[in-house]
Amino acid sequence: MHRLRSTLARARAELELARTDGDPLPVDRLLGDLREALDLLGRVEAAAFQIVAVLVLDDDERLAELTARGLRRLGYEAESASRMRALRPREVVVLDLGLSASLDADQLVALRAARPIVVTGAADPASRALADDLGASDYLVKPVELDDLAAAIKRRTST
Amino acid sequence: MPAKLLVVDDEPRTAQLTAELLRRAGYSVDVASSGTEALELIRSVSPDLMLLDYEMPDMEAPEVLDSLRSGGDRIPFPVIILTGARHSPGDQVVGIERGATDYIVKGTDRQVVLARVRGALRERASAPGAISRGRLHLDAARGEARLGDRVLKLERRPLLMLQLLANRSGEVVTRSEVLDQVWGTSYRGFEHSLEQAVHQIRREMREPDWIETVRGIGYRLVVQP
Repeated sequence: MHRLRSTLARARAELELARTDGDPLPVDRLLGDLREALDLLGRVEAAAFQIVAVLVLDDDERLAELTARGLRRLGYEAESASRMRALRPREVVVLDLGLSASLDADQLVALRAARPIVVTGAADPASRALADDLGASDYLVKPVELDDLAAAIKRRTST
Repeated sequence: MPAKLLVVDDEPRTAQLTAELLRRAGYSVDVASSGTEALELIRSVSPDLMLLDYEMPDMEAPEVLDSLRSGGDRIPFPVIILTGARHSPGDQVVGIERGATDYIVKGTDRQVVLARVRGALRERASAPGAISRGRLHLDAARGEARLGDRVLKLERRPLLMLQLLANRSGEVVTRSEVLDQVWGTSYRGFEHSLEQAVHQIRREMREPDWIETVRGIGYRLVVQP
């Protein structure tokens, strides 16, 4: 809440200064402030309504988005990506095992800390070992039913 | 022809801004300022997609969806719900059970909004209209399928599935996508029906090579000479 207020106050101060000095609007800075404010508001709401943020990572973008959409319809705040990005606080990661080969050392550390739910096309011992190595909290074999995925997310967030 | 979108929001400035964003992306956009107005507009101009504000003074999104669905079992176009303040997971489940395609939280990045609209429209594109793939001719809207001169006797879902595969001919369509688009919203318990549908399609076509099973992933239509 504190950071949300201070970000909005900054945007207002920038606008007021530009207005009194007759300067051109610092559009990019304002856009940055607003993006940050909305992001912070999102965190406040997520805490208030107990909304769970989920990141679905799959090198097949279409499949990732389809899964994310299904999760959104179940009330999760789900995003899809075909590449690892910085994680938000308490964000649950659903990771296609195929993507793990492309991760650098820092990303691997971040992923392990997030205890991802690992999804894989094959149930062989090597995949399982790889999932364990990634600190997986759950391990699902494709094709994954949305309900099973939701159940895994529930298990992950209740621990 | 650009896709026709309908934006429904009771805040005029929000509605206009959303419409402007979509127009700049090349869509043709109508605006309604209430649930009632939206329902009236839909009767005269059927949109390709609707963006619907969750909370409006006259009715909330689930009521609009209920009115739209009365009669048919599915709403004939995708609906994306715009939520202002976030709703609890329970509310969103209500939304989907009543037929919403997706959700966008207001204030979401423009690129993300456009990507979700494109995603929902892509599904729409894979539904109606007549298409031909080699000797295969389909018109799911009329419930007709032919292979060469031979009429294929297919039930509604196998026909819709064949249409979906034909639209993306040569591409693997995942089982989840087939379930999502042909069987509607629920994922559970339909795996068996999906296999039966594939069986019926292959049996009717009498040339099983048209439908290739990609193990663990889905199916692909391969046009046969």
